[in-house]
Amino acid sequence: MINFAQTFIDALSLGSLYALAALGIGLLFGILRLINFAYGDLITLGAYALIIPSTEAVATLFIGGWPWFMVIIAVAVIVVAAALLSDLLVFRHIRRADPATLMIASFAVSFVIQNVILMFYGSRPKSVDLWSNLNYQIAVSGLRIPLLQIVTILATLVLMGGLTLLLKRTALGIQMRAAAEDFRMARYLGVRGNLVIGLAFAISGVLAAVASLLLLSQTGTLSQTMGVPLMLFAFIATVVGGMGSLIGAATGGFAVAFASVFLQAYLPDDLRPFRDSFVFGIVILMLLFRPAGLVPTKALVERV
Amino acid sequence: MTDTAQRRFLRAALPVLALLLGVTAITALVALLGNDEMALTVTEALVRLIVVVGLSVFIGNSGVVSFGHIGFMCIAAYAAAWATCNPMWKQLMLTGLPVFLQQAQYPFWVAVAGGAVLAAAVALVFGAVILRLSGIAASIATFAFLAIVNNVYSNWDSVTAGVSSIIGIPTVVGPWTGLAFALGAIVLAFWFKGSRFGLMLRATRDDPVAARASGVSIVRVRLAAFVLSAFIVGIGGALFVQFLGVATVDMFYLQLTFITLAMLIIGGMGSVTGAIVGVFAVTVFVEFFRFLESGVAVGESVLALPEGSQEIALGIGMALILIFRPKGLTGSRELRLPGLGSSRRAMAPPLTTTEATARS
Amino acid sequence: MLEVEDLAVSYGGTTALAGVAISVKEREAVCVVGPNGAGKSTLLAAIAGGVPPKRGRIRFDGKDLVGMRAENIARLGISLVPEGRHVFGTLTVEENLFIGTYAMSDQRHAQRDAEQLLGYFPRLKERWRQPAGRLSGGEQQMLVIARALMTRPRLVMVDEPSLGLAPKIVDTVYSTLLALRAERGLTLLVNEQSSDRMLKFSERIYVLRNGRILLHGNTADLQDGEAITRAYFGFDEHHTPATSEAAA
Repeated sequence: MINFAQTFIDALSLGSLYALAALGIGLLFGILRLINFAYGDLITLGAYALIIPSTEAVATLFIGGWPWFMVIIAVAVIVVAAALLSDLLVFRHIRRADPATLMIASFAVSFVIQNVILMFYGSRPKSVDLWSNLNYQIAVSGLRIPLLQIVTILATLVLMGGLTLLLKRTALGIQMRAAAEDFRMARYLGVRGNLVIGLAFAISGVLAAVASLLLLSQTGTLSQTMGVPLMLFAFIATVVGGMGSLIGAATGGFAVAFASVFLQAYLPDDLRPFRDSFVFGIVILMLLFRPAGLVPTKALVERV
Repeated sequence: MTDTAQRRFLRAALPVLALLLGVTAITALVALLGNDEMALTVTEALVRLIVVVGLSVFIGNSGVVSFGHIGFMCIAAYAAAWATCNPMWKQLMLTGLPVFLQQAQYPFWVAVAGGAVLAAAVALVFGAVILRLSGIAASIATFAFLAIVNNVYSNWDSVTAGVSSIIGIPTVVGPWTGLAFALGAIVLAFWFKGSRFGLMLRATRDDPVAARASGVSIVRVRLAAFVLSAFIVGIGGALFVQFLGVATVDMFYLQLTFITLAMLIIGGMGSVTGAIVGVFAVTVFVEFFRFLESGVAVGESVLALPEGSQEIALGIGMALILIFRPKGLTGSRELRLPGLGSSRRAMAPPLTTTEATARS
Repeated sequence: MLEVEDLAVSYGGTTALAGVAISVKEREAVCVVGPNGAGKSTLLAAIAGGVPPKRGRIRFDGKDLVGMRAENIARLGISLVPEGRHVFGTLTVEENLFIGTYAMSDQRHAQRDAEQLLGYFPRLKERWRQPAGRLSGGEQQMLVIARALMTRPRLVMVDEPSLGLAPKIVDTVYSTLLALRAERGLTLLVNEQSSDRMLKFSERIYVLRNGRILLHGNTADLQDGEAITRAYFGFDEHHTPATSEAAA
């Protein structure tokens, strides 16, 4: 029982991280039909922003040494700026392209960001000590829960709550939801396309920033591709949850996390290394048998 | 053959011949005149040419972007590695291999054929499952396939040596072998494009509703292209490991997927000529930046671009192509030779559904 | 008020409109009829900035609309109700209604306008907080018309409002459009496949077929329907477009 509860909390915290990233990806897909591969690299960028650019093997904290709320704000500003820049320089010019072309363009953006990081920070992974006191474990009735897991879950709850409020209660948020559902119709009604898209990029940037801080405090290691696996799982989470639906993206994040954590815990030993294959296999099955995802929105059945 | 039929055949065959000659000439020039390092570069480029031409057989005809073909390359590459790698090493490291692979060492051509056939067989099974998906959904499924292949080959230690390399593969592939297979791949791609299946497939791409109404089974024609393209890409994979002498899973993942797709897009996704031009353009471009990274003497000082410049330049170049020339450098058209009659229907006639079905 | 000259639009290789010219005067009700695939929807979409023209001019109050973004065209006072209704299904009726005024940050008249429009469409008030996707087809059509009017446009373009609706509901839609027009001095440009209803509703009719205008005239002169039928079914295909004198 304790084992199960421990696994459950692991899944919940991993799911929070996936859900955060999946929301960022799902938001852009809903509005732009863009599967943003560069999202993982925005996460990486956020983590690297904490240290002083240098090719030395030892990382020296820069932003990372500031008070925690300043860290969050500064990293968010940097990642949002990069996200907006990617739109301004690339995606804005191919708005009418089909989703596969957009995805390839995001591949190009991802490749550029990775190599810019390589150029300024060198190719060796670096260990960074960010908020390591969060690894302190709290013992609750036989369970040992790292503080970081609780922080991850709370941060996700706060951000998801904020996002929901923004989308449901503000004029801009309502326009965004309209644009996500039917972009052309929204523009016929006067919704400014670039404003809404810019906001979507900005929000996805904030989510990526928080995800990168949580990821880094968990792993303690910087590398140029550190964001890629998170991006991949978040991406399949949006497919599993229902592409373009935000509730779907969050649900998908938790579903994928629960699937992988429980597979990890309960698969036979010799199959355990192939856990990710099972998770990716689930994606193919979802596409085949439930293409609208776990939380279908009417608008997307015809689109995907 | 009547006179017009002969003319039509010439009109179709001559541009292909011209492309074959062009590729041969460039290879010969570099292999005969260049140094060893240049011979390596041109061999690698020819292997990539095979892979990109293979990609274009599926993507160019079906219009569906596949992110999974490097998975087929990986499968074939490992098969070739199993076949040719030193048996002593295999018995030591790859304890899970079946005896017929573990105990023996097979010749080059068996490795190539075996790898390509294995890739094609996997494509047949996987394609039959996913090719009824449309557009982006099919692309996502191919991506999931790539991730699965990567995960399996990274962790199946007893057969793939996990994330470490398989070593001791005889390096028998040089520029001339590469050239022979590249020419074969080009001919195969043109043959498929002009075949009944190729025509029907492009009809389904241009007008799926009409194509379905006329009885063309989208899944079947797509599957044919998918299997053939996996076969060609597989040849590329089998050659690649016998060129490098080592096989590592991470060679066949996102980076190579990106570079091969970039080549195809920069050249033009819709044509075989585009695939060839793309490989050539990207190779020259990357080599040029690699040269700048290694340092250029300007007067008394040496100026060198920092590491990563070539990748950044490639990414920017690709974005620029997507923005300003979405059909690639060739406009996704095939090569046309002047002086072969005024007809505009040179290699790939802009076909209509009725035409395609009339031929079927 | 609206002048379209020599408008050509194509999708990929197919031509949707080839040299179309229409004009709409202030406070007129003008109708474009034509069979399915004639290019009617493309014409309205091109005016609203949804598809880029290959050639031609579109002027509204003398201002050239070609190349302008759809959202800025909407701000000039042109509102399009596209074919197939396009409600935002996951948004509530209320949110659907206010999208335009949110977008233009113009809330001055919003509450009052909404009250007034709900007077015409009382059903919407009953469904106020429900997702628009759950409304019936007729209710959705009312919602999109009301939604289009919330930003106080001067020209309202409606694309096939009768498509897929019961005749009785279509009657309501048209009588409401006429009433709103009288009350607010709207200018209307409406697409339909069938000309029957249009002979009563509009003042002028264009017949569009295969991307060309084949007939143009005052409704009063076309009441017997003969000329429209001929143009509609393409009997005059190879002649220059017939133009009734009174319209010139």
